[in-house]
Amino acid sequence: MKQPLTDNIRIAFLALTMLFINACSNDHTLSNLDATVFVRHKDADMPAYIKGNGSEKVFLITLHGGPGGAGLGFQGNAFDQIEDKYGVVYFDQRGSGMSQGNYSEDDVTIDLMAEDVLALVKMLKRVYGNDSRFFLLGHSWGGALGPATLLKDQSEFLGWINVDGSHSPKDLYFEYIRNFERVGAAQIELGNSVPFWESVYGELDEVDRNTVSLDDFNRLNSLAFDAEESLIDDNFINDVKVGGIDISDYNVLTFFWNILKIQSILDEDIIGELSFTERLSEITVPSLILWGKYDMVVPEFYAQEAFDNLGSAEKKLVIFERSGHSPMFTESNQFAREVLQFMDQNK
Amino acid sequence: MRRKPQLLLLFLLQFTFFGYGQKKSKSQTTNTRLSEYFWDRTEFKVGFVGTVFWSNGLSVGAEYLWKESEKTKSRRGKERTNTHQFLFNGNLGFVTNFSSKTDTGAYTNFGLTWRRTNKKGKQFSIELNPLGYYRSFLPETYEVNGDEVNKVFLPGRGYYAPSLSVGIGRWRKGKVRSGSYFNINYTMRTSYNAGALPTFSFQYGFRFNFKNKKQ
Repeated sequence: MKQPLTDNIRIAFLALTMLFINACSNDHTLSNLDATVFVRHKDADMPAYIKGNGSEKVFLITLHGGPGGAGLGFQGNAFDQIEDKYGVVYFDQRGSGMSQGNYSEDDVTIDLMAEDVLALVKMLKRVYGNDSRFFLLGHSWGGALGPATLLKDQSEFLGWINVDGSHSPKDLYFEYIRNFERVGAAQIELGNSVPFWESVYGELDEVDRNTVSLDDFNRLNSLAFDAEESLIDDNFINDVKVGGIDISDYNVLTFFWNILKIQSILDEDIIGELSFTERLSEITVPSLILWGKYDMVVPEFYAQEAFDNLGSAEKKLVIFERSGHSPMFTESNQFAREVLQFMDQNK
Repeated sequence: MRRKPQLLLLFLLQFTFFGYGQKKSKSQTTNTRLSEYFWDRTEFKVGFVGTVFWSNGLSVGAEYLWKESEKTKSRRGKERTNTHQFLFNGNLGFVTNFSSKTDTGAYTNFGLTWRRTNKKGKQFSIELNPLGYYRSFLPETYEVNGDEVNKVFLPGRGYYAPSLSVGIGRWRKGKVRSGSYFNINYTMRTSYNAGALPTFSFQYGFRFNFKNKKQ
């Protein structure tokens, strides 16, 4: 009896040691990066998943949507191509993904989240050297956090890439209504999913058209995703091909709990309140604006607004004709080409 | 017209008294006299803990039998005897996600288990652990304070983590491997970010009593 028991204890001990080693090891080989490094800043521990080719020490820092999205959510064909040439840093923001910490709801501000991104840059410099260079890319909500970061300190960044980013959630509510009416009318005229678009008009009749309401905003936001589904069904835009993220990368319960929590904290400060439009002129780093023509979640109107208001001497606007809110998943090759060209030119 | 409610009241009173009396006569509880020796009343347990998809780990623990009673009930003319136990228990576990490096941690918790065992050895238990601690282990971590960036030694965070488990099991009388269990566990980690994180996991394992002789 004693011998098998000793053996079992030995096996269990070895298994635990292996688990611990696996949980702590990182690969910082520049040509083939695969590391998870946490940045601890103001009572939060936030993971940065660093992947790709860092030979030139040029890194693309990504800011996910949400708030409450997943850093690794960007992964797929487009980012695989970007990783082949440059290092990509997928970052779980404060209160998102697998970030953890101990702070109060009052501590969470957009200002602090922007400081978190700058802290991430400092951490990356410490790990990969002060000669490391950075580009910043923000998608959706990341398109608001990006300007918030750049307006604090843009000297650390070689360029800003705005992907269907919401730099002005303040007016988004009313733009939703205008965009639904515009796209709805066009789709009905084309005879595409007529019952759906008629039901959209029905939904619009039920929302307050004069005052921003959080409930109505959430309703319109959800309707925007449904509308994109409808455009995909009618083969008006390409289907979304997400292939990079594994179900096991994120604990789904933790992930969803974090989304609900961070949105409940931030929504009131964002929806109908936050706008960087007036201050975009202060952003002078080279900028690339990438937008899906049929983005129903952050409508195309904001692409032109961002382009017109950014203070960058060098800026480019690219509209993806067969895309909605996420062109990196619907026209991934063109997306990767544009990002790589921008980084090549400005590194 | 007025006699009907009176008759109904009488019937209900009669039903209450006789019903109660009948129940009493069909259920009998006897406290078991337990061994005075600590090791006779102590079992150890080891098992899998996790969610399979996102976390997998190992848990070890011990249970000390505090109170035991036998309840005999008569239902439909048959007598059934179940053993009811209260046990103090303590657990120590380690859990990780093989796909990522962001969800590794160790925990310990202490509390009380109530367990019912029937004559066939089938068990049902509820385990409440009000004293719990979870420590996350993070990979390489750097703390940023202003312009200062320092590597953190043994990075991670500690959380108060009480838990509740409900499960089934099987008792093997007189054997060294004295039983098996399958629990569904709910643990709350607090303070986690700006709130309390609910987590769920499975626990499957075996209990051992080294005082027993049979293999």
